[in-house]
Amino acid sequence: MRPAMRVGASGGIVTIFLAAVGLIGNFTNLNLIGDQVTFAGLMLLIAPLIAGYVVTAPKLESGSLVRVDRGRAAILGAVAGVVAGSVFAAFVVFVDVFGVERIRAIFLNISPALMDFLVGERPVPVAAALLVAIAVAAGIAGAVYRVLPDAIRKPLGSAVWVTLLFGFLQRIVPIALDQLDIERDWLYSKTTRGLTWVGAVVIALVSAGVSVLKDRKGDAIRRAVAGRRSREAEGPKLTPLSFVIALAGLAAVLVAPHVLGSVISEVLGTVMVFALLGLGLNIVVGYAGLLDLGYVFFFTLGAYSLALLTGATLNTFVGSTAPAIALDLNFYVAIPVVVLIAALSGVLIGAPVLRLRGDYLALVTLGLGEMIVVLVTSPWLDPLVGGPNGMRDITNAAIGNFGFRDPKHFYYLAFAFVVLALFVSWRLANSRVGRAWTALREDEQVADAMGVSTTAYKLLAFAMGGAIGSVGGALFAVKIGSLTPASFTVLVSIQVLGIVILGGIGSLPGVLTGTLVLVGLPGLLREFEEYRLLAYGGALVAVMLLRPQGLVPNVRRSRELQEEDREQDKWAGDVAADEHVAAAASPLGESAG
Amino acid sequence: MTTPLLEVAGVTKRFGGLSALNDLSFDVAEGEIVSIIGPNGAGKSTVFNVITGLYPPDDGDVRLRGETIVGLAPNRITRAGIARTFQTVHLFPNMTVLENAMVGQHCRSTAGVFGSIMRTPRVRKEEETIRERAQACLGFFGSRLAGYRQDQPAFALSYANRRRLEMARALATDPAVVMLDEPTAGMNPRETLELRDHIVRMRDELGLTVLVIEHDMRVVKGVSDRVVACDYGRKIAEGTYDEVANDEQVIEAYLGRRHEELG
Amino acid sequence: MAGSGAVKTRVQRVGGFATLPWRRIILIILGATIAFVVVVGSYRTLTLPAAERYSGDFWVDQIVNGLGQGAILALIALGYTLVYGILRMINFAHGEVFMAGAFISFFFADAYVKSGFLNSNPYFSLLILFVVSIVGSTVVAVLLERIAYRPLRNAPRLVPLITAIGASLFIQNAFRGFFGPQPYGYPLPDVLAGSVELFGIPVSKVIIMVFVVAIVSMVVLQWFVHRSSTGRSMRAVAEDSEIASLMGIDVDRIVVVTFIVGGVLAGIAGVLFSLTFQQVQFTMGFKPGIAAFTAAVLGGIGSIGGAALGGFVLGLLQAIGPPLLLTGFSIPSPFSIRDAFVFLVLILVLVFRPGGLLGSGEAEKV
Repeated sequence: MRPAMRVGASGGIVTIFLAAVGLIGNFTNLNLIGDQVTFAGLMLLIAPLIAGYVVTAPKLESGSLVRVDRGRAAILGAVAGVVAGSVFAAFVVFVDVFGVERIRAIFLNISPALMDFLVGERPVPVAAALLVAIAVAAGIAGAVYRVLPDAIRKPLGSAVWVTLLFGFLQRIVPIALDQLDIERDWLYSKTTRGLTWVGAVVIALVSAGVSVLKDRKGDAIRRAVAGRRSREAEGPKLTPLSFVIALAGLAAVLVAPHVLGSVISEVLGTVMVFALLGLGLNIVVGYAGLLDLGYVFFFTLGAYSLALLTGATLNTFVGSTAPAIALDLNFYVAIPVVVLIAALSGVLIGAPVLRLRGDYLALVTLGLGEMIVVLVTSPWLDPLVGGPNGMRDITNAAIGNFGFRDPKHFYYLAFAFVVLALFVSWRLANSRVGRAWTALREDEQVADAMGVSTTAYKLLAFAMGGAIGSVGGALFAVKIGSLTPASFTVLVSIQVLGIVILGGIGSLPGVLTGTLVLVGLPGLLREFEEYRLLAYGGALVAVMLLRPQGLVPNVRRSRELQEEDREQDKWAGDVAADEHVAAAASPLGESAG
Repeated sequence: MTTPLLEVAGVTKRFGGLSALNDLSFDVAEGEIVSIIGPNGAGKSTVFNVITGLYPPDDGDVRLRGETIVGLAPNRITRAGIARTFQTVHLFPNMTVLENAMVGQHCRSTAGVFGSIMRTPRVRKEEETIRERAQACLGFFGSRLAGYRQDQPAFALSYANRRRLEMARALATDPAVVMLDEPTAGMNPRETLELRDHIVRMRDELGLTVLVIEHDMRVVKGVSDRVVACDYGRKIAEGTYDEVANDEQVIEAYLGRRHEELG
Repeated sequence: MAGSGAVKTRVQRVGGFATLPWRRIILIILGATIAFVVVVGSYRTLTLPAAERYSGDFWVDQIVNGLGQGAILALIALGYTLVYGILRMINFAHGEVFMAGAFISFFFADAYVKSGFLNSNPYFSLLILFVVSIVGSTVVAVLLERIAYRPLRNAPRLVPLITAIGASLFIQNAFRGFFGPQPYGYPLPDVLAGSVELFGIPVSKVIIMVFVVAIVSMVVLQWFVHRSSTGRSMRAVAEDSEIASLMGIDVDRIVVVTFIVGGVLAGIAGVLFSLTFQQVQFTMGFKPGIAAFTAAVLGGIGSIGGAALGGFVLGLLQAIGPPLLLTGFSIPSPFSIRDAFVFLVLILVLVFRPGGLLGSGEAEKV
């Protein structure tokens, strides 16, 4: 009972936190489903819900996992909910008694609007009781979700989060449907902006159905694969189904800009640029295991090199002037030069720096990233790169008359580079070079003793990652058409690192997923712009605590990071079965091992 | 007289105030199997580390075929032809058995970035060669590291197999000299005897020169052409097994051991 | 397999192009460039024509201010070095611990100045500000340890580092969410306004207080670490946590104590910083955090004396360095590059002398 109360109390504090930060008060009008399910309401419920789920976790007792039975689960969930609700209710009562305006002087987001939502016209005790009741319901729901049988749980979970996702994408999906001339008023209400209840139910049913089908199919595939020996995920297994899916995916990616309109294409263009950055950092962090916190260095270098090489001008208060050094190359001629500059810089910087151990390397690279930003903003280099005013008139990478600054066109340009980077990364990962990097990453000293020149390969990874990053910067320059130092901050480094880590270190599909989630979603969900970094930070911590191998993990890295032994035991069980067969068959009849 | 393949000449190594190696000298001729014995703390692993370039000696020289290798990076020394195993097994735990062995072949192959990206026919052929050589080295230990085992991650192997894998990996670097650091530590008697035979096969079938640090005297007796005994970083005896086993100083260094065990 | 037939000569020549010590060469060139910049830059700055030259007063001012900022950096640096000594990890979010205390104390300071309390009872209200800031910083530090660091004690190195970065972002933006993005002006009690003549040099009263408080804190810390039993346990855990736990020391508790100590020092630094610069903002932790870490590394990470020394040296360097070295090369507004200068110092220390000033000159063996 005690743990349930503690978890509940934490849940209550989390809800207070959400209120204080503004995630409740500012979103009372963000309707997700109909008029009733608002984002504010979701935020109110989410902490007790998770508390209920956490509190009913199976416990390890005398060597086996003891699951919680249904009745007890509901009780635990209720207790957690009650405590969470009471904590939060106490807070609300306190604010009401003390006076909203006085608290607002300090905590800006504890506003009358918030109190209106939480208390409204009701007398305070009633409102408090209501809040507790809601929390109890959420706690029980979370607990119940835990103890549901798998067959119900998975489709239910799918249904809920897919529906909510569509609710969130209320600005994107209707536009896309409009562009494709598909009737959409039954799905998204024109008045509330969010999903209609009808639409919500439909989506829920469809996703539940898909989840059930996927499970059945997944089991069949798994059984078919179980017979094979090789367990390495060196690349996607080309079953006919996955081939079709891949083809469909490719087609979707190729026509996306035309279907989704300019606004979304612009976001997708940014996604592509960051995907490229992610792929570059993936080589440094994911393949070679070097902790690079200063990736913005190459991003900035690439952007400004391209600008200077292709005849951009300095932005001044009265117009523009030529920079101290300016060439007027064609974009496609300049790119290899940019790559070369970045690679050389990578080598020069890397040589003294790359022998440092993990944390120190991280700090040094962070420092380098900061330094270049300071330099680019400084009055000292103003005649070269325009200081705080930046540069403008950057080439639009035109081929003939076809310019690439239009969001729809830029998307394809960036996409081409992403495909190139994917190809290069994939080929390298499964080659002698990739093997050397993996060895270097697993045990640097031993790799050195085995004949792998660790300095050379670290430099190689750093330079290659840097080269790709600088191409990303160059593309970014083309996309925007001008450069302001404000775009180049340490946050870029952290975002790219987040993409690689969240998506799955060393995993190519992971990097792409990470980009979609960390760049695509915030880009599409503009109303959450203010909370982007908060969510980022929270997501990084959560991922490291719960699933360090990322969303779409690389099989090998999961082994490195995952602490669960269950997977290994299961697999070892399969292998032991293999060994019995092999031992019986071997002429010497040796014992296994 | 031909130059010895490996020469350790007057090597001294200090860690802080402690002299781990003190003017240690010995040679290894081509095709010999030389064992280094001595009580714990005698500096045996340190000599391996100095030879393979993990750290430089404070004094003295190490020569391979007459050319000094002091000051070279470990990977260059490996490329020059010296391979080693470690006292505590240091595999690449999350790479498969085969991949571990293939890393050994790294210094004998040249595929670079462009070749790897393009997968030119030459590179593809080289990969195949690497794979075959690695499999051959694994095969040296019989069926234990063969077949389905090769796709298992290294951490899944039993202890004895891990030691064998580490040796296979060292063999995969196509060395001239193989240095084994207590290869039979932790093995049961049957595995130990098997390994003793493997060591001799390394010389007879693969033409390697072997330097072994060992505690198990049955192995030392069985494989060695010559034995070098050390204590406190100094060589105290050198010769055939029988000569060293009966040496006064050696017996004294192993104080507490019954005489019979050394015979 | 090689056994099939000819015994190849498998010994390759060990000479040639690649044996040139490339790293040595690059390091020497780098070192020479630095030396050149330092010597020539200083010389030229100091020998500028009288009209352009910095006055003696300017330099004195810079030195005093630099040392004052250095004292604050030292306090924060101690937090880094203590945690690093115990956990071998860089607490990236320590800058936010510092910011939290300062920010929270602001609201009290603001209330006090508005009610006049600040100036009617300046010493008492300052005391309360320090206490509040200490409490705020400590709470954040302990929460950090419990939630973000403790579960990851045995994870590979990359993981706690990423967590720390995430936590730093999270705390920063949480404060932004609570209190808004704008800077708030931190009030200064009248009693601390103005300056005093010390040995003929005008020194602002705030700086005097900064010195006094900082040095007293460091002395107390020194006593705590070297004379108290908890301090002894801390030193034991820093040397070898496994053995320490075998000796009956509760390692978890000691880790929490370490974070608390770091939090206390950061809280004190928070008030000192706010009084010196008279401003708080949600981003105020980032740059001092990095600078303090640089100071800790400069002095020798893991060493308390090193952190203190590093703090003062870095404070001095970043106050004097830019004008001294860069003006000579006609680089305008050298102070705008001050941050880059700090980072450069960090990089150079780590490249040339990773053990820091008080270290052995060699990087720690892994």
